[in-house]
Amino acid sequence: MNKGKHFYSHLVDTSTISLEIGNMELKKEERVHLLSLAESNIHHAIMDAILSELNEEDKKKFMEHLNIDNHDEIWKLLTGKIDNVEEKIKKAAEDLKKELHKDIKDL
Amino acid sequence: MPKTSSYEKLRDKWVKRHRTLSKRLLTRHKDSIEWLKTHSKQLAVGSAASAILLTSPVGSTLGPQQASSFQTTEQIGRETFLVSDLSKLVPQEVRELTPIEEEKLANALSRDFGVDVKVGINGIRLNRTYGMIGQEQHLARFPQDTMDTHFDNAKDAALYAREGMAPGLGAWRYFANSQAEMTEEDKLREKYYIAVPTFIAPGFNTHVAEYRDFFKYRKMILVNPDNGKAIIADIGDSGPAEWTGKHLGGSPEVMAYLERVDRTRVLYFFVDDKNNKIPLGPIKLVK
Repeated sequence: MNKGKHFYSHLVDTSTISLEIGNMELKKEERVHLLSLAESNIHHAIMDAILSELNEEDKKKFMEHLNIDNHDEIWKLLTGKIDNVEEKIKKAAEDLKKELHKDIKDL
Repeated sequence: MPKTSSYEKLRDKWVKRHRTLSKRLLTRHKDSIEWLKTHSKQLAVGSAASAILLTSPVGSTLGPQQASSFQTTEQIGRETFLVSDLSKLVPQEVRELTPIEEEKLANALSRDFGVDVKVGINGIRLNRTYGMIGQEQHLARFPQDTMDTHFDNAKDAALYAREGMAPGLGAWRYFANSQAEMTEEDKLREKYYIAVPTFIAPGFNTHVAEYRDFFKYRKMILVNPDNGKAIIADIGDSGPAEWTGKHLGGSPEVMAYLERVDRTRVLYFFVDDKNNKIPLGPIKLVK
């Protein structure tokens, strides 16, 4: 069990989003809200990227491991079933981050 | 017109994107997510199986040690405040609550949901207010109501048909005399029904007729203390038997909304709705 971080945390650098939001004139709770929304968006993009690479049976296994936050089993499954899974997770996160950065820039 | 702040602009964009991504995820991986919803046990605060995929992961990993920029706190959700409040009032062990505990909870729920929540009304109450809920089946609403006639649309059928129809009728028999006579209220009464053991309510044996009339379609509020979700339900059936180890039962729609599976804990209190103004179905926290 690995409570406290996501199984992909070591692959996804979100500090640039944090910094940009940190530089905005916001109340503390507004900053917290935006950060959580950003994380949620990134999480969904990563989940979609992973699930799209798995067959139905493996999706179920993956979600079972995810449900109990078992990082070891998640990685065992993902590395065995998806080529370059780490790169795919990074790409999904980076693509989404680009969109989030653009949203901030467009304000 | 007030100027929209940077926060509001960004929030609206990101909430919209969040919805789009959630929808896409649900659409593309619907079967697996549905499977997980029905096969996994529920975890801690707000982390029903489906939520792991559909809400922010922050929501499923509460903890003060999470100090990274993106793991600040998810206590921004108002339901989470309720969960936090309830955790102080509801024991982890599923047991009968003391009168003081019940009163405190009734007051807290009244305040949080803006309805008059009560342990009992006119001296009538159930045997308990906190217990294990079981999964019930659909009830026939009128003679010849079957799973083919039961749902208004294909989406509801896809979501809720799995539990099937109970072989017997509810405690009050049919909800309507015929399909043609069935009202919207009748439909909602079946859709959001609960079964409670009216027969072991204190005083039932000496006031059978009075209690039966009191309990019939009586509105109650059910709250999942693990995620703060609440629903206004009505008593549509009597049960379950004590030997089942379950204290009440919920319709498929009630269970799905609360994100509860068989034998999981809920709070259930009466709602005093003298003028029948409070709608059956999900209820949100007051703003």
